Amino acid sequence: MKPEINIALMHAAQEILTRFSPLIEDEYEQSRLNSWGALILISAMKFNQSYSSLAEENDSIINWLRKTKQIYTKDLLEEIDEIQVEEGAEQTILDEQNQLLRAILVKAHKEVDLKEDIELKKELLNLLREMHSHRKVSDLIGLLQQADS
Amino acid sequence: MESNKELSSQFISYYSKFTNKKLSLLSFERVFGGASRETFRILVKDETGSEEKLILRRTQESSLIETSQSTEYLAYSAYQGTLVPVPAMIDINEDEGTLGAPFMLMQQLDGAAASPFTPDAYSPHEEELGEQFWSILGEIAKKDINDDFIDQFDNATEDPCWKKELDKWIKVIKEDSISIEPILDAGIRKLYENPPKEPKKKSLVHGDYRNGNFLFKENKITGILDWEMAHIGDPLEDLGWALSPIWSWQDRDKPAYLLDRQASLSIWEGSSGLTIDKNDLKWWELFACVKGMAIWISAGNEFKTGKNVDPINLFSPWIPGDIHLEIILDILEEDLNET
Repeated sequence: MKPEINIALMHAAQEILTRFSPLIEDEYEQSRLNSWGALILISAMKFNQSYSSLAEENDSIINWLRKTKQIYTKDLLEEIDEIQVEEGAEQTILDEQNQLLRAILVKAHKEVDLKEDIELKKELLNLLREMHSHRKVSDLIGLLQQADS
Repeated sequence: MESNKELSSQFISYYSKFTNKKLSLLSFERVFGGASRETFRILVKDETGSEEKLILRRTQESSLIETSQSTEYLAYSAYQGTLVPVPAMIDINEDEGTLGAPFMLMQQLDGAAASPFTPDAYSPHEEELGEQFWSILGEIAKKDINDDFIDQFDNATEDPCWKKELDKWIKVIKEDSISIEPILDAGIRKLYENPPKEPKKKSLVHGDYRNGNFLFKENKITGILDWEMAHIGDPLEDLGWALSPIWSWQDRDKPAYLLDRQASLSIWEGSSGLTIDKNDLKWWELFACVKGMAIWISAGNEFKTGKNVDPINLFSPWIPGDIHLEIILDILEEDLNET
């Protein structure tokens, strides 16, 4: 079995940070290289999850829209009914679908905001938080600080 | 792009002529992290052996924030000799022929800037620095802005302060967005639906007042930097930006990693002589997130289109972009829980 891409990236980042960067005397160039090292490290740590996170996010949006579809206006309802899911699609296809789903979700959010249903509004914010947690890399901020030190 | 060597040679030739002295260059170093201008730390010596420390800020072809250097120069000039510590300005040059791009030259102040993402950057002087940080911001807000002064800033519209600023940043978001962000969209709708009152007193707003944008030496703030987004507006705008949890992400109860929120607000009120309207401040705190997102989105666009692949343009949408989205969610949730 070949070494995984994320492992390769992780080693590349470590080499940048510990072997090459200390050889650079220019403060600006060294800081810039350290930043690249840290960003490659973050990429390595998130690389394996990127496909599954996107797929999960799309599923979560679709499920929520379908679950709540009785409250939407006719036009939006039609858009929700037209959503098609392609099983095992490539990442670029998933990405395109994600943008379509996000656009529909924005419309749904506007309609939810017009309702008096606080629980529904809370549920929608929970969905947004779940979507954000699939994507975010800010939890790795510590890596940047280590690279900077 | 020319090398530092070429630029440093152009610089010493220009500055010798400018000062009418025979100068030699002792060092010429680029400083990492300048988001809107290339910044260089320079040390020169004249024939008598007297040394001078300078800062050169040169306009970049493609930068994180597109701003006018004359605005920055005007703002620095406004606070010379006041309680707001700023570097003495030496020259502003809009000509591309001298150093390859428009530039500003100023004296270098003592002290160092810390990263806004380092929690213990100010330890053990948080209290003294915090007192100064919020008090200086009050001084900025307190400055009397007469009409002639306002005229020098780009302030053409009759719109309320909040609308002028919000519209400006929404335009950036619309132009540079590379993906749909439902959280950001919800935050923007909230801002337009519940605008703040127009301030009783308009102020010169720094536009990027936060930890990381000041110099300090031990327990003393020696300089307030990065005025490129300065404009006339609501003084609560700066307060909302400086208080944003993004600048104290790992210790959110201590804005700017300095003092707790209540102490910070009390110092600002005491120094500015202004009273804070809590609802209006809340609006400006949400605005800070949307403005931040505009900046991070713009940086991401620069990176993705290959116009400027400086790592700061990748870092910005990844880390600060993520954090600001999370803060928007927190604010929306808090509002909902209060209803």
